Amino acid sequence: MSNDQRAFFALEQGTATRSASIVGWAAGRWRLLGTLAMPVSADPEAMIDLLLARFGAASPDLADHLGADARASDRWARLSVRTQRPGRIAVLAATERAVAPLAAIAEAAGWRAEPMALDVDDPLAITRVLLQPDVVAVLAGAGEPPAADERGSLNDLGAIVAAAATRRRELTVVLAGPMSEQVPRFDATGDGRGDVVLASSATTGDPGGEPLRVVLEGMGATEDDGRRAFERAVATLAEVMDRRIEALDVGWAAGTRVVAEPAVAGEASASRRRTIADACFVPAAPDDSLIDRVLEWSTQPLDRHRLRDRLYELALAPWADTAGEGAILRLAVGRAALAALLEATTDLPAASEPDLVVVSGGVWSVAPGPAVALAVSDVLRRPGSRQLAHDHARLLAPLGAIEDETERRRVLLDVSRDILVPLGAVVMPQGLRPGRTAGQLVVHGASGAIELDLVPGSLELIDLPPGETAVAELRFRETVRLGARGRRFAVELAGGLGGLLIDLRDIPLRLPERAERRRELLGAWQEALWAGVGS
Amino acid sequence: MGGGRLVTAAAGIELLGARPLLVSPVDVTVRLSPGDRPLVAVGESVAPGTPLVERLRDAHVAIVEPPGDVALRPGDRWPLEAGHHAIEGEPLVGAGGARPARRMARHKAGGPVGELLFESGGRWRLATAEHADPLESPVAGIVREVRPGVALTIRASGSVLPATSALGGTSRGRLELAAGADGEVRPSGVDVGSSGAILVVGSRVDAETITRARAMGVRGLIVGGLAGKERRDFAASERRQRAAIHRVPPFAVLVIDGAVRRPIAEPIMALLGAMAGHDVAIVDDPPGLVVDAPEVVLPVIPPDAIRVRNGPLAGRSGTWCGLAGIRRFAAGTHLEAGLVRLDGEPPVALPLADLERWS
Repeated sequence: MSNDQRAFFALEQGTATRSASIVGWAAGRWRLLGTLAMPVSADPEAMIDLLLARFGAASPDLADHLGADARASDRWARLSVRTQRPGRIAVLAATERAVAPLAAIAEAAGWRAEPMALDVDDPLAITRVLLQPDVVAVLAGAGEPPAADERGSLNDLGAIVAAAATRRRELTVVLAGPMSEQVPRFDATGDGRGDVVLASSATTGDPGGEPLRVVLEGMGATEDDGRRAFERAVATLAEVMDRRIEALDVGWAAGTRVVAEPAVAGEASASRRRTIADACFVPAAPDDSLIDRVLEWSTQPLDRHRLRDRLYELALAPWADTAGEGAILRLAVGRAALAALLEATTDLPAASEPDLVVVSGGVWSVAPGPAVALAVSDVLRRPGSRQLAHDHARLLAPLGAIEDETERRRVLLDVSRDILVPLGAVVMPQGLRPGRTAGQLVVHGASGAIELDLVPGSLELIDLPPGETAVAELRFRETVRLGARGRRFAVELAGGLGGLLIDLRDIPLRLPERAERRRELLGAWQEALWAGVGS
Repeated sequence: MGGGRLVTAAAGIELLGARPLLVSPVDVTVRLSPGDRPLVAVGESVAPGTPLVERLRDAHVAIVEPPGDVALRPGDRWPLEAGHHAIEGEPLVGAGGARPARRMARHKAGGPVGELLFESGGRWRLATAEHADPLESPVAGIVREVRPGVALTIRASGSVLPATSALGGTSRGRLELAAGADGEVRPSGVDVGSSGAILVVGSRVDAETITRARAMGVRGLIVGGLAGKERRDFAASERRQRAAIHRVPPFAVLVIDGAVRRPIAEPIMALLGAMAGHDVAIVDDPPGLVVDAPEVVLPVIPPDAIRVRNGPLAGRSGTWCGLAGIRRFAAGTHLEAGLVRLDGEPPVALPLADLERWS
């Protein structure tokens, strides 16, 4: 992107969704001028044409000023990123005990791991997996030092992997820890040598296995990797907004969680990311555990067979059936995926409660903002107060592809107001005792003060539109946790599409065991925030 | 005036997902397991019925100790075949297949036969089995790649009608229409008269009908949608059949769309109707129906033809009228929409993501 560029396209090609946006220089700053998201099967050039046409029709003068003419699609720069379905990696060790931490590290690095151990799987079954075309890498490791029951099998393990590497030159082999000693076997395979990576063991580093995770994560990345760019954009956003940000992306093929903190008191800014294949929207073959997790959140009376069929359809066409009941089901699936993402990334705690939670991904695109705010609050059960926002234009990842940090900061500072749709603010105390009232809340807003009782287990919704701010003053009868422990709190909050959610439900959320009662309760909460949904 | 381009009323169809009616050329892949013995070589022409592979049944690992001076690689057949070389010097086994007794002394007659997996401590692990079943080519074509233990690829003659999944492997038979696009075949509707045929059974089929079809010697079924329960029942039936001592004839189920009941699309039904009576093949990688009958006149699809793939109107066909912009749909969702005319009715706005066009 050159300095005299007045507009550019930001494009993201996900595994299910393709998005295109126009970012242009207008009224002294970069602005989001148009955006479009469609199934990935849509023709990208047709999307750009439509985007230009709509921009020209909506703002003819500005379009003329920026040169949004027939040649703009060729002339304007394009920031493009792409996300891919996580690759499948075979994870091997001599024993089942040794393979478990290796598989966990591979999964934390964004791979779909296939763990196998010589003490439980026979060499033929292992070879069969290694020769499957969709297995693109193999991680073979051992304890540091190898346990007594591992030592005798390391040679066999090395021989199996080397034999597979001989037959499949395209296979990337990672030898971790003491398995590195098996590397001479790969020398003998000739041109396969270049694909052998030596890495530390599953226990080396702080936290344990981090160097190995970094190696595996790097193997799965491409030059235009959207997930890496997403992390970079979130980190820059934390810097320019001076806020602690947690970003949660639920994609068709994987879930990604990023925590980023700005530099404070001489300490450098920091960001960390995890991509988890099992936290995807819907896997290709929905299994019983997924059905259980979705049923937990479903407000529809679906039996297991029907739900399995619906999920299978979603796996085939994730953008299909997005209206009516389909939209409600999608949000139940989105909750299950988000819960899986949070569960799989417990090693990624934010140093402190994030000020802003940003959600991203196609699953949130079709539901109204307030319903999305509720879905996130249902799953993200942490005491504190926070803002929720939606990366509605899927623009964070493409903007993270801006190489120059200064330029990236400038663009993100300008467009942050446009690209983050405020979903609302959430106040979520922990430690309320059951009873009629736990205290009182006064919200001081532009239109006056609103008072209400704080009833444990309830979900209160206070109208606070986007752009407005308010101070919520909470007085509890007993000590609770709301970021810090105390009885009196005053927090300043900004509004959003879902307004202000005073969430006095349990942390973690406890739902009725009986399916019918659970559906009623979830439905009642949802109806309050999702216009058009009702029994 | 702005510089934006105008999008005409009927434009925008390219924003819909494109579904090809037929794809060619097509490379049909047959997955191999370690131990499976390829019977064809790269460049060889195959016809339907040509043995491609000997598949091991109930494969297991055996250990062999070859002579130390033999150059062996993972994937080699055991015992060594004609043309195999020692580490240095003359071929270990001559082109005529004569086996020098000295070097092969350790391979006793009746010893394990199979594929070498890996060497450790001077001994090789071998994938072997008591029985092997031949797998015949479902299509005519030319072998493009043979990778023992991995896959065998054939560039098939003809074209493939893509589907979402094929269960049960590959199969071949004459095509028969047993039901209409929205129809359904009950178990009593399948008899021995359909033996050797691949039946088009309409929008859905239940597990009982699938079981009866296999028992009647039917070679395959083509269906619009197959529910998850039926898929699992079929998979369990497959496992039982394969565990039997005797070789079972090939039988496959081709699912055109997904898991919910959905009529077979009109152009696909027209194609199947045109192909009725001809031999066709169900393949599973890529999942589809291979058709190879140049004399058959294929249906012509208008460029504005679309199909509703999902939603309340799923399965209906119509014509594209143009983009409708962002519309509000049930449950308050706002989606990019297109105007579609179904069966001559006034145009209705439907989410773009629920539509597909033909390519």
